[in-house]
Amino acid sequence: MDVRLEGLSKSFGSNQVLKSLDLTFPERRFVTLLGPSGCGKTTLLRMIAGLEKATEGAIWFGGRRVDHLSPGERNIAMVFQSYALYPTMDVAANIGYGLKVRGMAKPERAEKVGIVAKVLEIAHLLARKPKALSGGQRQRVALGRAMVRKPDIFLMDEPLSNLDAKLRTTMRGELRRFHLDLQTTSIYVTHDQLEAMTMSDLVAVMDAGVVQQFGTPEEVYDRPANLFVAGFIGSPPMNFAEVELGAEGGRPVLRLAGTALPAPDHFDLAGAPSRLVLGIRPQDVSVAEPGAEGAVPGTVWMTELIGSERLIEVEIAPKLRFTAEVKSSVRCALNAPATLRLDPGRIHLFDAATGQSLARRDALRG
Amino acid sequence: MSAKIVLGRVALYALLSAVTFLVCFPLVWAFFTSVKPKEEIFRWPPTLWPESWTLENYRALLEGKQAYFQAGAAAASGPPPSAFFLDWFLNSVIVTLGTTAISTIVSTLAAYSLTRFRFPGQRAVPYLALVGYMVPSIIFVFPMFLVMADLRLTDTLFSLILGYVCITLPFCMWLMWAFFRGVPIEIEEAALVDGASRLRVFWEIVLPTAWPGIIAAAIFTLIVSWNDYLFGRVFMNSMENLPLTVGVMHFFDGTHVDWGLMMASSVMMTVPMAVLFMLLQKHLVAGFGAGAVKG
Repeated sequence: MDVRLEGLSKSFGSNQVLKSLDLTFPERRFVTLLGPSGCGKTTLLRMIAGLEKATEGAIWFGGRRVDHLSPGERNIAMVFQSYALYPTMDVAANIGYGLKVRGMAKPERAEKVGIVAKVLEIAHLLARKPKALSGGQRQRVALGRAMVRKPDIFLMDEPLSNLDAKLRTTMRGELRRFHLDLQTTSIYVTHDQLEAMTMSDLVAVMDAGVVQQFGTPEEVYDRPANLFVAGFIGSPPMNFAEVELGAEGGRPVLRLAGTALPAPDHFDLAGAPSRLVLGIRPQDVSVAEPGAEGAVPGTVWMTELIGSERLIEVEIAPKLRFTAEVKSSVRCALNAPATLRLDPGRIHLFDAATGQSLARRDALRG
Repeated sequence: MSAKIVLGRVALYALLSAVTFLVCFPLVWAFFTSVKPKEEIFRWPPTLWPESWTLENYRALLEGKQAYFQAGAAAASGPPPSAFFLDWFLNSVIVTLGTTAISTIVSTLAAYSLTRFRFPGQRAVPYLALVGYMVPSIIFVFPMFLVMADLRLTDTLFSLILGYVCITLPFCMWLMWAFFRGVPIEIEEAALVDGASRLRVFWEIVLPTAWPGIIAAAIFTLIVSWNDYLFGRVFMNSMENLPLTVGVMHFFDGTHVDWGLMMASSVMMTVPMAVLFMLLQKHLVAGFGAGAVKG
């Protein structure tokens, strides 16, 4: 079942947290709402769940308008960040509560709870109270409670944020696997871009109550629609520098820290302003031989080993540093001269005034 | 175990024993006095352990009324105070249970709405209620007496229940308010998503979670209304309508104190509270909700 938002707005007093959103979450897809704290992603999820009322707009589940319905009438399931297990009930009662509310007979309920518990590998915990469970086990119980009712839509509010790094990685894979098995439309809220990139079919990047970009993980990574998305997605973050658009020998060039770089041809530069912002990911910057074409000279400011890669931060102009992610075998001395080569096919350009990307649609290499 | 730790433990146990003795001695003394014959109570030097045991005082309290009417003495000088003991006991039980039921139910519902529904003054109400509780009862009691008199409620058990509800409700509400603030709202939201109605969420999810808080509020109300003297003294005047605390004061007058009856009454007043507390205190265990949310 798809979820459609039409002109959805939400205000708390004078504070408008969602600004006229129009968005469709396609059927059976795993869609992530990704954004920094306070961007409105959790509020949006709670509105879809029916826990917050919309100030304006409509929410549709398939052909059914639901924004006037209570959470229980929407046939959704939600996994909360804090798990929100019922502390006085044991695991079996926690998982089966939704079925009990719907009037299912006890034997049938026990059977369904048993099946879900087996899938989630928590069958041996059914008689325990939540306080006797570890974080990962509680997470599974919360998932079980959501799965057992066979809801039309799964809503998840940062469900992995309270787990340690190792368990988070495991649960990420499991959640993805459950989704592929169940094929239920899922909406997942996170501020962790790694979760968004690894688990999602589609990502909606949000900031200040607005969806900045909605697309596949590849699209938002490779073709960021604006400066916010470009800066938010990717680790280490994208390098940015103001450049000036000029011309040399009849060809457009970008002047960056005294170096003229030929403007890549995947941009729509006709009528573009002269002040632009150049962005390039550290993975697309390499250390080159001095004097190579399109290379930017500078001084090594800092190096960091991050496992199989090394980050080299090079100052290319006063207070302007670019980071290159290179093989760990590449070594540079601090304060030594270094030359950076920016992969022309991977350069991003943004209008400095509006922050919007100047890339032609489908022009960037995937 | 090092000598320092052993010494620390010894000092701790010595201190705890001293405190236990201070707390328990009056109770033990009252009990032993209640089972001594009159002559032994006044003997000098006094005995702690009774030389001869008697249940005469308890019999006088429990069978006083019956004995008085059987003796046909009603016309002579009126029944002795001990004849009313069972009436007083029943009055105290009715007033205490009535107050506890009203205060606990109202404070639970009020505190829940104070923590869960948004309205102007939502934060101020619990603190204002607590300020009301800080004012001594003696300031309330006379205006309240006038109100009760206007309502023609004086000398009724209902007036006592109303009076005790007035003095216990603010604190109970504040207690429950502080308690509900610690109950994560996500639990209720999860139940709403599971399809439960708001009333069902309150009944099946919130109340079981709030049980320790409710018991704490109930114990507070029980103790206040069972032990109060002031309201009973001011609101009530018929001998048969008095609560226990006021009634037992009739065991002494300007010329004579019946220590045996006083102590037997004290023991019988203390025992129900002590038993109740022992039964309920296991529900007061903290940390009941640990594990419900992250952590």
